[in-house]
Amino acid sequence: MEDKLLIWRFKRGNREALRRIYDKYHGRLLKLAVVLTGDLDTSEDIVQDVFVRFAQSANRFGLSGSLKSYLITSTVNCVRNRRRDNSRRRVQSLDEADHVPSSAGRPDQWAVLSEQLEHLRSAMTCLPYEQREVITLRMVENMTLGQIAGLQKTSVSTVHGRYRYGIDKLRSLLNSEVEA
Amino acid sequence: MKSAEDIKRYFQQATLSTNPDRHEAIFEKIQRAQAESKTTVPASHRPHYRSNIMKSPITKLAAAAVIILAIGLSINVLDKTTPAAYALGQTVEANHTVHSLRITDFKSGEDEPKEFWLQFDEQGQIESVRAYMPEWDSPSDGAKIVIWQDGKAQIWFKKKNGLLTVSEQQFAEQMLGLARQVDPRPAMERLYEQEKQGKVKVEIDEPSDSTQSIAVTATYEPEGSRPGRRVVLLVDRATKLVTAMEVFQLKDDEYQQVGRTEFHDYNQAIDPRLFTLEDEIPADVMRVDQTTQEVGLAQGDLSDEEVAVEVARRFFTALIAEDYAAAGQLLEGIPADKMQEMFGSTKVLRIISIGPAGPHPIPETKGLVVPCTVEVRKNGQISEWKLDRLGVRQVYNQPGRWTIFGGI
Repeated sequence: MEDKLLIWRFKRGNREALRRIYDKYHGRLLKLAVVLTGDLDTSEDIVQDVFVRFAQSANRFGLSGSLKSYLITSTVNCVRNRRRDNSRRRVQSLDEADHVPSSAGRPDQWAVLSEQLEHLRSAMTCLPYEQREVITLRMVENMTLGQIAGLQKTSVSTVHGRYRYGIDKLRSLLNSEVEA
Repeated sequence: MKSAEDIKRYFQQATLSTNPDRHEAIFEKIQRAQAESKTTVPASHRPHYRSNIMKSPITKLAAAAVIILAIGLSINVLDKTTPAAYALGQTVEANHTVHSLRITDFKSGEDEPKEFWLQFDEQGQIESVRAYMPEWDSPSDGAKIVIWQDGKAQIWFKKKNGLLTVSEQQFAEQMLGLARQVDPRPAMERLYEQEKQGKVKVEIDEPSDSTQSIAVTATYEPEGSRPGRRVVLLVDRATKLVTAMEVFQLKDDEYQQVGRTEFHDYNQAIDPRLFTLEDEIPADVMRVDQTTQEVGLAQGDLSDEEVAVEVARRFFTALIAEDYAAAGQLLEGIPADKMQEMFGSTKVLRIISIGPAGPHPIPETKGLVVPCTVEVRKNGQISEWKLDRLGVRQVYNQPGRWTIFGGI
């Protein structure tokens, strides 16, 4: 109910409500974006974009939906759009260096990752994107396979397959990192 | 790391921290986006006033009018940025003009609201009350209508088809307490005082759109008397009276709504027939008037627990003897013929066990519970009748006398 109250106040132009929504969800969305993209800079841009668009949407945003689901879906869509734009750019400029995911620290960086998140970020980049998305939404956001299937516009059995293969590979990657 | 659960735990432990300066800078950018989205009009949509209007003296006058209008609008825009003009004291003040209202009180998870009509006298004291209490409020009683007027209360138990009349002060207090719980006037005064004492944090939203209500959010301080409670009040802009109140309670780090109360028809005359039940009750209703009849058993030297057990024992003894008048006197004064109608088909044979008395599970009843098991014969079959919640309490308007109450 807290979210509904925040949205209601946000729609009425209350800045404190926007502040509370930002404080409540920024960490969660950053983590989601880092695991999906494997790149901290890109993740910061994505989460900023999500909040900027949300802030501009007060008149259009409905009261009935879930704020959490809205922000998660926006983040996932934003990640997909970035990937699509990047792949187009790579096709247009073949001599351009491949995008290398990184979390290298900058003085003006928004987030600092814990050691576990750093391991996860690194391991997840070795998985195909669709598997990465399924695992992230299941593990980080506790979404059901049915909900993920809806988001990926595919069948539950496909999502289940992506989840199973992804988990097997991730387990082996994390075990090898732990052992190393 | 073996199972998916291990991996999930790993995900949960994976965290990040944010740089506070950068965090603030990004929020400022987001805020600017919010502000710009309200004011930005695409260039292609902007009207070209000057090129259109400066062609004749008439249009020059019109241009002047436009400029004056624009100045007026800009003043309005500036007004929107000034601090909220509304304060709780205005509602407290407006409440002094209220002499009647209707209230609907919703509880989370229940469709049917409680409904109240309140009328106040010239001093602002509650003069008349009509309350509809749905079955969910007291499943054993069923739905009931309560009328309070002229120092007497009448309670119509619809399911039991009974009409109880009482006039004792204790009941009056209980009845008025019920009305006060939903009366917005004392609630606002309490909130106003608590705000002044720093016991609640009050935030006021006064939207620039004059058709929208003022929203008052009161959050109780964690160390106060009601930690985790939050109340949102909607206030009519013109009258400054509260039109709705939503109550939230902090649970699992989220404020969850527990109730909503709506206030309607301020100062609209209430039909006097609403404060009498005579036109509504069925002709065969069972009338119990405790203002004229001695009810229950005198306590004498017995303790509360002892008299409660004694009332229950005498009640069943009277039923065994088929003395329905005596049994009815111990059951809130129900008339003998009604008692015979209620218990005639069930013959109580003997008391198997009775007592000891303990506290009633609903403390507001101020009663005790006497567990009883009796042997009965019904339709030729003998069986045990186990009563876990036989309630006994003091008669409302007859101090020192005790009666069985509620369902048997």
